[in-house]
Amino acid sequence: MSIFIDAATTVEVQGATGKEGSYWLKHMAEMGTRVVFGVTPGKEGQFVENVPVFSSVQRGMKQHPAELAMLFVPPRFTKDAVFEALDAGIKKIVTIAEGVPAHELLQIRRAALSCGAFVIGGNTSGIISPGKGMAGCIPYWIQRVYRKGDIGVMTRSGSLTNEVTAEIVKGGFGVSTLIGVGGDMIPGTRFVELLPMYEKDPETKAVVIIGELGGTMEEEVAEAIEAKVFTKPLVAFVGGRTAPEGKRMGHAGAIVTGGRGSVTGKVKALEKAGAFTAAKPSQVGQLLKEAMARA
Amino acid sequence: MKLFEFQAKEAFAENAIPVPKGMVATSMEEVKTALHSIGLPCVIKAQVLSGGRGKAGLIQFAESVEEAQQKAKELFDSKHNVRKLLIEEAVDIARELYLAVTIDPVSATALFIACAEGGVEIEKLAAEQPDKIVSVKVDLDWSFMPHHMREITFGLGLEGEEAKQVGAIAKNLFSVFRKHGAELAEINPLFITKQGSLIAGDGKLIIDDCVSDGKYPLSREYFDTDTEYEAALAGIPYLQFDGDIALMCAGAGLTTTVFDLVHYAGGKVASYLEFGGPNYTRAKDAMQLCLKNPSKVILVVTFGTIARADVMATGLVEAIAELKPAVPIVTCIRGTNEEEAFATLRSIGLEPLYETEDAVQRAVDIAAGRHAL
Repeated sequence: MSIFIDAATTVEVQGATGKEGSYWLKHMAEMGTRVVFGVTPGKEGQFVENVPVFSSVQRGMKQHPAELAMLFVPPRFTKDAVFEALDAGIKKIVTIAEGVPAHELLQIRRAALSCGAFVIGGNTSGIISPGKGMAGCIPYWIQRVYRKGDIGVMTRSGSLTNEVTAEIVKGGFGVSTLIGVGGDMIPGTRFVELLPMYEKDPETKAVVIIGELGGTMEEEVAEAIEAKVFTKPLVAFVGGRTAPEGKRMGHAGAIVTGGRGSVTGKVKALEKAGAFTAAKPSQVGQLLKEAMARA
Repeated sequence: MKLFEFQAKEAFAENAIPVPKGMVATSMEEVKTALHSIGLPCVIKAQVLSGGRGKAGLIQFAESVEEAQQKAKELFDSKHNVRKLLIEEAVDIARELYLAVTIDPVSATALFIACAEGGVEIEKLAAEQPDKIVSVKVDLDWSFMPHHMREITFGLGLEGEEAKQVGAIAKNLFSVFRKHGAELAEINPLFITKQGSLIAGDGKLIIDDCVSDGKYPLSREYFDTDTEYEAALAGIPYLQFDGDIALMCAGAGLTTTVFDLVHYAGGKVASYLEFGGPNYTRAKDAMQLCLKNPSKVILVVTFGTIARADVMATGLVEAIAELKPAVPIVTCIRGTNEEEAFATLRSIGLEPLYETEDAVQRAVDIAAGRHAL
């Protein structure tokens, strides 16, 4: 098993004929992902890598039911594309676009919550269960990063994920499922909402979270551990310990204001709950070993 | 993007939120005109984006024209990069409230925060006396309804005319918030005057760059330094510090982590710059920004996927050829097609490092004069 996506998960790709969409659809299929149809309004009847294209999600769903929607859609069309997938009854949606207006992100998350659906992203490179399935733009071919294994990874970042995951692999481990929740201030799905899936997954022995300054997602993870919602070993790397207050460090969500969202606070909360925290990415492999030995 | 007080108040006034009569002055000549039009006593408020203006002496009260001109001149001449003053009529204050609407990423709603004690540091009050804070969530698709208004006004213990006015202001503040796709629309303090009317004493508005539609074009006054302004115009994330290691990295998370690692290793960052994502082909623009301010070494760390390592290495080599930086460059460029990237870097005599921490240590050593070049 793995979570969210595996070799059996049926996937439809919105924005399938675009530059990014067609490129990554090909890679998703090559890795073994079950891509059942693509969507581009007005391009029905075309094929991308033998995958049929439809003009709407609903039209595709009639012939090829899909469980997961992968959106390669520009920010200004993202809200509509997410709602289209929700309207078609899809419960897992991944959206990579950066720059969706914050108020639309609120509406997207609110709608997903009321439909009982999960929207992963935006501003993410997506999700991958190595060897099984991938939705997004993840270079699964980099073996020293995306090796199959039993560590669940949740991350707010892209290139930092490569950095940290390479350390997990260097430590002798691999990845069960990696989920990029994205770097925006309002991620569609929060770390804490994915923890129960990792808890239930027999193939996930421990979880690594790659957090950063700003927001409260890491603190929520600490609360979930304290409440025994999550009981497996957990190692966290949280970037931005030395970031000055009030400056936005890169991601929209990475800002410390009024003393909230500081890495110190996050690390304190996680350690109090019994999680292991790494000050540097290079410590993650060793800490995983220690955490798993103690479990 | 955080707006200046006068811009926030313009947005408030456009949505029927009462603000004091005021005028913006950019010169002593305009101060004179403003004083004539506003009258006395008046409040002179430096238009800077940093918080804590009161404590920093950036808000002054004046009862005569001479006093007002003297204080205006002092503000223009201060070290706080004051380019505009807002000159406002003084208000007879009976009480102060706090009212703001922001976003709640957990419940995915708008979140009103109100408090019967204005002029406070709301984060501090929320931590120390949470029972004094009234918070009301509003679903964006439901919009602001009468029961939300009642939650706020009853929560603040208001009655009659005051409740009616605060309710109307809350409704209008929600319109401002929605119209600008705002992260925060805040009135702190919200004055209740001795005559019993409500008026916004200060205004803070953080708008969404994605929806501002060019209404607030970037200008130098929003930034602390010239280079930060130039970088913003170029669309490259950049922050200036006072150390000697210039970061030219890719990806917000990785750059922030390298920033930490430099500090752990005893180094100091001169500038934070990321040229990942859509900017990964812009090594030359990035390096040009890095070279605007003195540094002893440029540290390039990337682990790109879509932002391919080979493309970034080629861009870097071209940038070096063209800009001929006088400072050494430490590279740790990995990710998609990294073997090609290493070869490209070696072709001009650069040593491609493989581990981030090795690269950070090298840069710190060079900056400290410990590494022979």
